[in-house]
Amino acid sequence: MSEMSIESAKTPAEAPAPSVVTHKDAPVHGHDNMHIAERAENLKFATWLYLASEVVIFASMIGVFIVFRIQHPEIVFKVHETTNILLVTLNTFLLLTSSWAMVMGLREIRVNNPKGLIRWFGLMCILGTIFVGLQYVEYQELAHHGIALFNQGNEYDGFGMRFYAPTAFHGAHVIIGVLWGLFVINNTRKGNYDSKNYAGIEVFGLYWHFVDVVWVILFTMLYLV
Amino acid sequence: MTEVTHDTETHIVDAHEQEHYDEKFSFVGRTFNVPTYTGVFALLGGLTVIEVLLSRLEHSSIITIIMLALAVFKAGLVVWFYMHLNKDNRIFLATLLIPVVLVILAVLFLSIVPVGGYS
Repeated sequence: MSEMSIESAKTPAEAPAPSVVTHKDAPVHGHDNMHIAERAENLKFATWLYLASEVVIFASMIGVFIVFRIQHPEIVFKVHETTNILLVTLNTFLLLTSSWAMVMGLREIRVNNPKGLIRWFGLMCILGTIFVGLQYVEYQELAHHGIALFNQGNEYDGFGMRFYAPTAFHGAHVIIGVLWGLFVINNTRKGNYDSKNYAGIEVFGLYWHFVDVVWVILFTMLYLV
Repeated sequence: MTEVTHDTETHIVDAHEQEHYDEKFSFVGRTFNVPTYTGVFALLGGLTVIEVLLSRLEHSSIITIIMLALAVFKAGLVVWFYMHLNKDNRIFLATLLIPVVLVILAVLFLSIVPVGGYS
């Protein structure tokens, strides 16, 4: 409801001294609810379209790896023997747990509990950061085994770029997700979200879960199969 | 509207949101006494352990297919429950599936090209 309509709803006798009423301060009525819901739907649809473009990028990288895996299974099996599967599994659990923390945080804001959301999102950001740190450790281990970006002529010929490109691109998404998470936490502390207005959190949630979905597929394709 | 207490603070929420908050996890016809999101998390964790154990077995086509199916199922669980496709507009599902189908077709097409060419 606009500032003017709020003021005009009162008689001159009971009208308070002129003050600035922002959109956020205005009481939420039916029309505003509809506007918020419509805006949330539009935001979500835009996010899904963005994610569709991400699907194409990740799926292309995974597709390239699948073709390599079909044509050179012996190289992939050899790499699997050197991979620290415990470390990667731990990383997978970290990301799955962060996704769980994400939805639990969303659950809290839906019942108007911003403190609960901040706690869960804080956990999510910590787990995402550890994930990136462990991915760095994993890269170090692989590099020590001689698996580099370009392995022309040695036993891992052609593997490096096909492995590092999707995992590093995914890692970059995790880093962006952690930064976005911190931004959402800060916005929540400022009181920008409540049980009627949390589209910004839902949109971030879609992004973070998408990053999780990509890892679920990458984990199986690159490390297990 | 109802009053609920979280962290010793009282918040006013509507009945629909409270119902959503208290929703229990249902899977293959059974309802478990855990919130939906926690149930999905437990299922994802269990399936991941099964996948890793399967990968330790001797490589075979059937195991590969099972692991791929498990991965797709896990991804589906996240999309369905965590990304709320079970409740949101189904047009969102189309935006996800169309590029996936396109890339699968492209990969299938690529995989029929011989490594060393046709000659």
